[in-house]
Amino acid sequence: MSQTTAPTTPDDEAETAPDTMVKVRDLKTYYDSGGLFDSRPVKAVDGVSFDIQRGETLGLVGESGCGKTTLGRTLIQLEEATAGEVLFDGTDITSLRGDQLYEWRQNAQMVFQDPDSSLNDRMTIGEIIREPLDVHDWKTPADRRKRVKSLLDEVGLSPEHYYRYPHQFSGGQRQRIGIARTLALNPEFIVLDEPVSALDVSVQAEIINLLEDLQDEFDLTYLFIAHDLSVVRHICDRVAVMYLGNIMEIGPTEELFTDPANPYTHALLSAIPKPDPTASRDRITLHGTPPNPRYPPTGCPFSTRCPVRIRPDEHEELDDDVWESINSFREILRERMRADRSIRERIRERLGMETRFATIDETYDELFGDLSIPGEVERVLRSVADAARTHDESEAIDRLNAEFGSVCDGVDPDGGADPIEPAYYEVSDSGRLSYCHRHDDEHRETATVIDDRS
Amino acid sequence: MSTRQSDSTDGFEEPDDDKLFRDRVRENPRPAMVWTAGIALLLLLEIGRVFAAVGQLFGIVGFTVDLLASVPASVGGNVVGTLGSAAGFVATAITATLMAFAVTIPVSPSVPDAAVDVLGLDLSRRGHRWAKRAELTFVLVAVAGLIAYTPFGGAFSALIGAITGGVDALASSLPAITSRDLIPNAGHRLPEGGWEGTFLGLSPAVAWTIRTGLVFAYAVAFLVWLWRGFNVYRTHYRLADWTPRDDTVRRFRNNYWGLFGFAIVFLFVVLALWAPAVSPVEAQHNIYEPNAHEFEYLSEDGEVTSTTHVFANLQSRSDGQNTIGPMSYDDYGRWAPLGTTNRGQDMMTHLSYGARTSLVIGVTAIGLGGLIAVVLSLLSSYYKGITDIVTVMASDTVQAVPALLLIMLVSVVFQEADHPIAQPLDGGLLLALIFAFAYWPGMWRAIRGPSLQVSEQEWVDAAKSYGQTPFQTMRKHMAPYIAGYILIYGSLLIGGVIISTAALTFLGLGINPPTPEWGRLIDGGQSYVSTDSWHVATIPGIAIVLVVIAFNALGDAIRDAIDPEADVDESEAAATGGGA
Repeated sequence: MSQTTAPTTPDDEAETAPDTMVKVRDLKTYYDSGGLFDSRPVKAVDGVSFDIQRGETLGLVGESGCGKTTLGRTLIQLEEATAGEVLFDGTDITSLRGDQLYEWRQNAQMVFQDPDSSLNDRMTIGEIIREPLDVHDWKTPADRRKRVKSLLDEVGLSPEHYYRYPHQFSGGQRQRIGIARTLALNPEFIVLDEPVSALDVSVQAEIINLLEDLQDEFDLTYLFIAHDLSVVRHICDRVAVMYLGNIMEIGPTEELFTDPANPYTHALLSAIPKPDPTASRDRITLHGTPPNPRYPPTGCPFSTRCPVRIRPDEHEELDDDVWESINSFREILRERMRADRSIRERIRERLGMETRFATIDETYDELFGDLSIPGEVERVLRSVADAARTHDESEAIDRLNAEFGSVCDGVDPDGGADPIEPAYYEVSDSGRLSYCHRHDDEHRETATVIDDRS
Repeated sequence: MSTRQSDSTDGFEEPDDDKLFRDRVRENPRPAMVWTAGIALLLLLEIGRVFAAVGQLFGIVGFTVDLLASVPASVGGNVVGTLGSAAGFVATAITATLMAFAVTIPVSPSVPDAAVDVLGLDLSRRGHRWAKRAELTFVLVAVAGLIAYTPFGGAFSALIGAITGGVDALASSLPAITSRDLIPNAGHRLPEGGWEGTFLGLSPAVAWTIRTGLVFAYAVAFLVWLWRGFNVYRTHYRLADWTPRDDTVRRFRNNYWGLFGFAIVFLFVVLALWAPAVSPVEAQHNIYEPNAHEFEYLSEDGEVTSTTHVFANLQSRSDGQNTIGPMSYDDYGRWAPLGTTNRGQDMMTHLSYGARTSLVIGVTAIGLGGLIAVVLSLLSSYYKGITDIVTVMASDTVQAVPALLLIMLVSVVFQEADHPIAQPLDGGLLLALIFAFAYWPGMWRAIRGPSLQVSEQEWVDAAKSYGQTPFQTMRKHMAPYIAGYILIYGSLLIGGVIISTAALTFLGLGINPPTPEWGRLIDGGQSYVSTDSWHVATIPGIAIVLVVIAFNALGDAIRDAIDPEADVDESEAAATGGGA
């Protein structure tokens, strides 16, 4: 397995395949909280780079809230990108304004998730599908009506539905109407935002087949956003796995599904129920919840929950339970650091009354009370707790990281002050990329560690 | 289950539905022609009143145009005082241009593109739009300047005068089935018995009853014919076999409380529109200029003599000692179906013209306030952020002052200053504008939630994704969902406006005499409630209660009718039936 770091800088023109349609480079979409003072934005998409080839279907998977819908919406300029660029056939669409954006919009369309909400109930089907044509002043009104009827036929409805209202259709039919509207302007690129997740299972297959047929017929390029992994495996040529605004792994579907490289992909795939009850590999349970995207962890975004976090050599032999508690401890400290303590809380604390924060001793007992901890380790943990007790959480985290931190937490092994992030490593001949320190030659590979630790 | 339907539609012949409405009518003209003939006949019967209405419309438009036209000059006049005449001229020109530009924004999309192509410029879409607006502004300002500063203006106003004069002449010369000339009820007793000057020599009471009955029969016929028109359209010319509006109509038809409200509101509107026909004496004679008009009556000594209304009114007051009660004649042979007021005027006349006043104020206030509320709610929910905050602050500022206090305050200020806007309807228009100003925040608040909700719908995102303009998105994808709500709140509030107007007039603050107003009737009659003249305050009081209840019932019914969840079972049945 080659283990060279793939270049991810935006100026790698030479690396781009000739039939690349969409080229995303270091794209960031932040949502402002709208607060006047403390405006820490929500980092929905936090530096993403990938290419979409003409005619392919790129799947985008990840758990809820990981930023996949925001990424899709940014690609068709429904959200404004905070930084980075989206090159569509060489034009940076994030910089388009006014008429240029209006003209470009014909090229990229979106199928929405909820067919109940994506069609205006007060308009007839004909008016709904015609609207994009009207907006772009496409030919004559009579031609538009003809085109709408042929589109209706194309998506498996009949022209007589022209004067019906969305009320009169089932969920699957409504989604077909949404797809017809998307096709009206003959776009080249379509973002499918969980197009089947709101539908009955029986209807899902029909819509998926329709989408595949349409792709063949009109040479469409899809970005298929989904959380249903089996659907993704069926329809996508390549898959990108997203976590907390970052792409963790991207590569050809079959390869990624059979031989995942990234720890997060491992965890995600292990969540697919297996029909074989005697299957050997156990499910990887992730602890905790994804971090708040307003306060992503330093270093690797997945470091807080990663089952194969890199541990400092001297502590490699430490019990897994202890490690788990240390990680929880770090999370609690991070949480305490950003919690605002009101004046009332401070006074109550002074007076020795109960506050809504558990004291650090209680926390410590809860985490480490039942565990047998080597003396050296316990000494460090106690000093961390001491720092936390005086509400100097940043000092506490520094002490914790100095002893237990690794590259995963952004600690530079060479002693640099700036937090370091993982790089994309090429993990197969097909150019599959994975965002993890484990692929570095210094460390053992993910699969081995998983087997080790389970 | 397969949703692909091409199998079942192999034999389906594509209907030729690419045709326009006009073509569809041409293909099957009979129902449309029958209906059009009916409506033409109905209009012809009342042609005199139709022209009178057109004349009044001209008057309203003329007043509005005059008012707007005076704005640039008055701005300029203010600037002249401080900066000199040159600056004043510039200020006038700038104000006029800005106003003209504001007019072009909603108008320009309906102007053909060819207007800009003439210029031969190569413009982007946005440039095209602005060029069109600029062009229209230029034309408007040029025309306005021509009218204001050149002799052409004189010719123009002469033309306008000729048109309005012509309409007025037609209104008075053309017949109408309910006109006072055709069925007169004003006449005098003859010494030998019987009546002179009334319809067929019948008594004034009978003549009046015939005329009033005819008015209501006509109005009901008109309404029925309109309903028939809707049905004709639905069965013969509409392409969709079902629309959501069908359900709305069906739900409304089954709501008896709502139908009661509708009936009363209908009576109220008919009373207001046909006020000249249902009043037994002419308002001009009896209320506005009673000393300028004489009439004949049979005096006690058996002579037919003449007197003025002002004198007769003095003798016919219902003030406790003297009472001309409902369904009776006064001493001068004048039929008073609802008795007389405390000042001797005819109550029926007063009530019908008062309905007119209330209706004008209510519709103007709610129409204007609702318009402001809808526009602001669309803007603030579409753009959110700073637009929303500014709107919230503006509405909260207005709402911070108690509404009735605000209305009193502003109306006193304008009335004392004798502002031209306080002239029409003796302060009625002013009151309507103040109501609009005081009530828009409430209406805006009421529709803010629904409009925020609809702005979050994915179809709004979808419209954005294919490049629909914000204005069209708001109009097509958001406004229809808010229209229902504003209709409900508007019809509920209109009752409030009517009652507030009456309350203010009762306090002597709202509408000044002689313009008839219900509140003033109650005020005048309140001290006689326990006497024989009880009817003076009671009849308008009951009328107000009925009208306000009716508007509320109507609003409730509209709300229920619009809400598709009001009858889930039936609408589900419709959905499966239609979608199969």
